[in-house]
Amino acid sequence: MSATENKRSVIVGLFVLVGIIILVAGILVLGGQQNRFSKTVTVTTVFPDVSGLKAGNNVWFSGVKIGTIKDIRFRSLKEIEIAMVIEESSRQYIRKDAVAKIGSESFIGNKLIVIEGGSGDVPPVEDGDVLRAATGGGLDAMMATLQTNNENLVEVTKNFGELSARLVRGEGTVGALLSDSTLALHMKQLVSNLNRTTANTAKAAEALTQLTAKLNQEGTLINDLLTDTITYAHLQSAVAQLQGVTQTASALMTNLNETAGKLDEKDNAVGVLLNDPAAADDIRQTLENLKESTKKLDENMEALQHNFLFRGFFRKRDREAAKAAAEQ
Amino acid sequence: MPLLAQLPMMKKIQRTLIELANIHRFVMRFFREVFMPPYEIKEIIRQCYVVGWKSLPLISLTGFITGVVFTNQSRPSLAEFGATSWLPALISIAIIRALAPLVTALIASGKVGSQIGAELGSMKVTEQIDAMEVSGTNPFKFLVVSRVLATTISIPILSFYTAAVGLFGAFLSVNQHEDTSFRVYFDQVFEAVTYLDVFSLVLKAVVFGFTIGIVGCYQGYHSSKGTEGVGRAANWAVVMSMFLVFIEEILIVQIIQAMRA
Amino acid sequence: MLKTGGHIDYSTPVISVRGVSKSFGDLHVLRGVDMDLFKGENLVVLGRSGTGKSVLIKLISGLLEPDIGSIEVLGEQVDELDDKALRQLRLKIGFSFQNSALYDSMTVRENLEFPLVRNKRNLSRAAINREVEDVLDAVGLLHTINQMPSELSGGQRKRIGIARTLILRPEIMLYDEPTAGLDPITCIEINGLINEVQEKYKTSSIIITHDLACAKSVGDRIVMLLEGRFEREGSFDEIFDTDDGRVKPFYDYNFIK
Repeated sequence: MSATENKRSVIVGLFVLVGIIILVAGILVLGGQQNRFSKTVTVTTVFPDVSGLKAGNNVWFSGVKIGTIKDIRFRSLKEIEIAMVIEESSRQYIRKDAVAKIGSESFIGNKLIVIEGGSGDVPPVEDGDVLRAATGGGLDAMMATLQTNNENLVEVTKNFGELSARLVRGEGTVGALLSDSTLALHMKQLVSNLNRTTANTAKAAEALTQLTAKLNQEGTLINDLLTDTITYAHLQSAVAQLQGVTQTASALMTNLNETAGKLDEKDNAVGVLLNDPAAADDIRQTLENLKESTKKLDENMEALQHNFLFRGFFRKRDREAAKAAAEQ
Repeated sequence: MPLLAQLPMMKKIQRTLIELANIHRFVMRFFREVFMPPYEIKEIIRQCYVVGWKSLPLISLTGFITGVVFTNQSRPSLAEFGATSWLPALISIAIIRALAPLVTALIASGKVGSQIGAELGSMKVTEQIDAMEVSGTNPFKFLVVSRVLATTISIPILSFYTAAVGLFGAFLSVNQHEDTSFRVYFDQVFEAVTYLDVFSLVLKAVVFGFTIGIVGCYQGYHSSKGTEGVGRAANWAVVMSMFLVFIEEILIVQIIQAMRA
Repeated sequence: MLKTGGHIDYSTPVISVRGVSKSFGDLHVLRGVDMDLFKGENLVVLGRSGTGKSVLIKLISGLLEPDIGSIEVLGEQVDELDDKALRQLRLKIGFSFQNSALYDSMTVRENLEFPLVRNKRNLSRAAINREVEDVLDAVGLLHTINQMPSELSGGQRKRIGIARTLILRPEIMLYDEPTAGLDPITCIEINGLINEVQEKYKTSSIIITHDLACAKSVGDRIVMLLEGRFEREGSFDEIFDTDDGRVKPFYDYNFIK
């Protein structure tokens, strides 16, 4: 065998070896990912509906991946048995009274099984154990948040009702104040915000209802989302609205609570107006003074106009105003 | 009259059928001779060197570019869903299931297929194949079996390289745009694929490799006399192997899909 | 330069062709050919291009099979041999191709080694080198040993081609148009080489050609292939002692009459 032939054989050997190493490494990593080569135990759970969960999906415990789903099969009508492979190393933390739920990795991510709970005094799961199934997951949790939100809104409305009642009872003084003060503006904004928030919440809730209906219908979530852009658009706006609603509502709550609280105290303007007639008189006096000052300022301005130094300026201004009026 | 009009047509059909029979005989002869000693190990290694090693730079570069370009092209679509974090999974499925074997096969049919077609074609035309036969060497075994085996071995290995380099190219892109660390990228890539995907990669690459080798050899071995015949052999080797690669791609995807269910 | 033809044994035919016909589609190339090649003899087959001269030697070497008729080479029926026996028989037949058919991808040394390495697997490296240098020296081209075929001239390629067949020490040599496409001086060299081979390696040869100078200088006996049959047979002078319109132009053209 000649020297070049030897060199070629070595190169080909190297080429093939590295290629096969890539393949074998890939297979081993894949095996590591799928727990094929580590010690595992198999536990099962039964759900009435698996919402598109597939064999190969992950199993999480406290947000840590501890295994994968091996098999999904019908056991009877409305009973679907899910077999999960769980790493031996994590087994000791999963107790026999832990609960399995169907969740998803992210809002549009893969479905997965989330194992929750379990108490320290109960022994760890063993091969063949059946975990209790709990319904509810990411979307259900979101609906629950929405529900809390609604409750908050009811609370806000109730507070506001009380407040308006008190305002009514505060009669003339507050009435006058409301008609021309910043507080009135603030109140008005509050009310309109509240209206908008309620409307938004309703819209968001509707979009979510649609989405959930769709999600419950068929296939996996991502599949629907990739093919159905309308649903996706709804979903996106629903999420945005929900976020907005939650923020606005909580801001409103704080504002209203503060306002309501402050109305009861004496060391603020409205509180004073509501609770202390003497102070109210003072404020009225101040306002009177302010009005007087404004009037005086007007007179000063008038005087200025006639001063020869400023005459040119005012004339020019008048001309321009006249011209503008003519153009219109 | 209509019978006469059909006459050239009939001849064409007849020629096609004869061609098919020849191809069938050629493939059968390959399978008969591949198992019969003597084994041309040295020649197989030499051909692996030519087919595999010599194509490695070109195919690596193509694989790298494919990875980067595919990632960059997929990003806007996923960004629309705010799902750019899914890029690694998308890329790994695309590269391992489809792109790695396909890109490798297409580049190889261009480079290796035409090379084999032209080489055997010119050997045929200048009577080198006859010379081999009369000097006591089985040219089918020495030329055809060794080349077909070399492509069948080398193309899968090249496609492993393509997959690795393509995934690396995709990583550079993802790392630059999404700040994804190697660890996260690596995990997501392997999370997305299954053994069946790797199996389909190997299966496709083996079938593609065999196709490129056998088509190139057939065209060369049966090339007609003259320099024109050599050119045609090289040309047809490329055209036919690329076409067959796509047909096989469709069929294998169907089979793998059935196995997935 | 005329031949002496000293060692020919006219009692021992090494090749016997009997009633062989061969056609490709509608083209009847050979129509019932009978021919003998005797031990130590140089037989020239003359004929126009495309009359099936090459087909004849391809039939003899088993590259083609006859439609009808029988071919016996060194006492064996070529068309009845299995692959292995045919391969063994072929080792005793040297075939010099029209275009030399050197393997383009190999050096001269590798070209010469090829038949040797592959057929005599127990030879040592030193023995192979010795054999290669020996035959290369015999054709006068030892200095080209590490060159590629593409670097050689037509005449050199032809000689290397002949050397490659000689390396297996054949008993029979088949030359397909040995002087085609070569300049007159090179032709004379090749003719000389054919005669040298006959003497040095004790071969019996069939030389296919339409070059009368070649036929005259190498042929012990000449047959003429006309319309698929051997029409004339004899020495050079006997062949052309005729007014046959199919034969005369050959002579007239080659010797400018």
